[in-house]
Amino acid sequence: MDIKKVPAIEVRHLTVSYGARPALLDVSVTIEQDQLVGVIGPNGSGKSTFIKAILGFEKPDVGQILIGGEDVQNAKGKVAYVPQRGAVDWDFPITVKEVALMGRYQRIPWYRNASAADREAAMEALSMVRMTDFADRQIGQLSGGQQQRVFLARALAQGSDILLLDEPFAGVDAATERAILDVLERAKSAGKTLVVVHHDLTTAAEYFDNLILLKQRLYAYGPPSAVLHEELLSQVYEGRLRVFANLMAKEGAR
Amino acid sequence: MMNGLIQAFWAPLTETYFQKALIGGCAVALVSGVVGCLVVLRRMAFLGDALSHAMIAGVAGGYLVMKLLFGIEAHAPSMLLGSLIAAVLTVALIGLVSRVSRVKEDTAIGIMYTGVFALGVVVVSIFRQYIHIDLMHFIMGDILGVADADLWVSVLVSALVLSVLVLFFRHFQLASFDPVMAASTGLPVLLLDYALTSCVSLVVVSAVSMVGVILVVGLLITPAATAYLLSDRLDRMMALAALFGVTSVIGGLYLCVWLDSAGGGAVMLFCTLQFLVVLVLAPRYGILARWLRLRRLVPQQVIEDVLITVLRQKKDTPLQVLQQFVQAPQHAMLPKALRQMEQEGLIGTAPDGYRLTEAGEKEAGQVLRAHRLWESYLASIGTPPEAVHQTAHRLEHIRANGTVDYLDEKLGKPQVDPHGQKIPPRQRNNHFNEP
Repeated sequence: MDIKKVPAIEVRHLTVSYGARPALLDVSVTIEQDQLVGVIGPNGSGKSTFIKAILGFEKPDVGQILIGGEDVQNAKGKVAYVPQRGAVDWDFPITVKEVALMGRYQRIPWYRNASAADREAAMEALSMVRMTDFADRQIGQLSGGQQQRVFLARALAQGSDILLLDEPFAGVDAATERAILDVLERAKSAGKTLVVVHHDLTTAAEYFDNLILLKQRLYAYGPPSAVLHEELLSQVYEGRLRVFANLMAKEGAR
Repeated sequence: MMNGLIQAFWAPLTETYFQKALIGGCAVALVSGVVGCLVVLRRMAFLGDALSHAMIAGVAGGYLVMKLLFGIEAHAPSMLLGSLIAAVLTVALIGLVSRVSRVKEDTAIGIMYTGVFALGVVVVSIFRQYIHIDLMHFIMGDILGVADADLWVSVLVSALVLSVLVLFFRHFQLASFDPVMAASTGLPVLLLDYALTSCVSLVVVSAVSMVGVILVVGLLITPAATAYLLSDRLDRMMALAALFGVTSVIGGLYLCVWLDSAGGGAVMLFCTLQFLVVLVLAPRYGILARWLRLRRLVPQQVIEDVLITVLRQKKDTPLQVLQQFVQAPQHAMLPKALRQMEQEGLIGTAPDGYRLTEAGEKEAGQVLRAHRLWESYLASIGTPPEAVHQTAHRLEHIRANGTVDYLDEKLGKPQVDPHGQKIPPRQRNNHFNEP
């Protein structure tokens, strides 16, 4: 690395609270470009809030977020987002094709309709996740893995260099998990930065270049070998330690 | 007879009051159907109710200001403006209460709209010598007595709201479907929220004079909900909702003339009946369709038995053979299963019976794999050899959640079963487990 690249995401002293309850406290992280970063932590540890803050959806009480060196409020549309499955209304009257097309909305001026080129780009994004056969289905008629892939296609259609994914592996079977991971890795090798909220510690080390361990505060940030050690995890996960003790033993044996 | 029928439809059309009701009612119903779609999808129905009640304070305010300052009686535009201000103010208050306190939004709506409604009622009754608002008219509406001014207001409001919704369709769609993404791409989500609320208020305000405060919510959400049962795309849902809104006004008005009933009530009654009919008959989301779907359901076991029978025959299999080997709980089940499998592309028909397609062959291989692994397992735990096949035949259907792979693992990945037959390899992406 001769030239110092601008970091993709720079979070400085981020603090967000809902009412009196702090969701994130003084979190500072710098994520370099072309990385596949996992965000881990127990339930309610502020993982989703972290993602929403980087999207510019949650306004920080204190702190600053820079996207490619620019303040997040001025960097609209530079970050694409794949929502958590539970956050989507699957009964919404919308087809797979239309969801993918939404990725192009930010490029279409308000007085114009989506052009043929936009539709083509949406279909291309769908073909990247192998969902073209389902283009005219309503999104509720898909399986969990297919739904996840549609939103992935929407994020790809946005053409952003940074992708944020909230629990993309929740509730999908092993084969689909693999398929989604393939798409993520392809995106990474195409020069994208990916930040993924992840709940499964057993696969975290295998999937990600770097891990962010959150529980309101930032407990650790670095390569999996540095983050996934017992003392740290027991601190963060408290009562559920025994499960992870086994896991650690397994990791060590590898 | 025929003449009488034509007369029944034609006669009301020649009456001015009926024509006005038709024009005003259709304009309002059309737009409220379209706006209603967004209201239904965003679960704002209760808010629509709140807006209609809150506007009485605005109407009274507008009336009073014009009367006391300019001496103009019942100035329609300023009453409209007043209602709009009252509606937006109510929404802002609701947002404020639910944001700064622990009170949840539905409670905040309930508190604020009853409060503002009460304020309106008190003001109207205090200033009753200045304000000539008939509270009963306000509550029940009078679609057959639409004044020319009201008619103009409704038509203009409808045109305005419709233009806004058509122009910014994409923005409303995205902000309703995924507000987080909308915000991340720089859409002014809060502004869109207020724009939508204003549109709803405008429509509600112009509809209240026709169907009244209580029924106006129905006009907003019922046609939209009816359309929701019929379409899987927002633009089509809006078009259908507009259509249902218009048909309820037309149907309701005839009902009202023929039965000599209250106008607003007849319109909403027709609208509700329309919903109920669609609820029963809707092709995908209707009750009847649901019932038929459940009836048509074929047990997976029957399908798998067919697959494995055809695979074992190694040639085109006639129906008689299938009847012999496949155990169907009911006699009619087998032909039904075959039809369904053909539709799903698992089997095809050949001159001498049924044959497996490529996908069917793959799937059958997986069932066979399960069968032979179960046989190996049964043999390994000491099941008598004569019982192995029969038991495995029942167990082969248990394949969910990686059961078969687990067996494979536990048995040390055997190549052949106890009868010395080859166990097919595991295949990804088989038909039924397709993610």
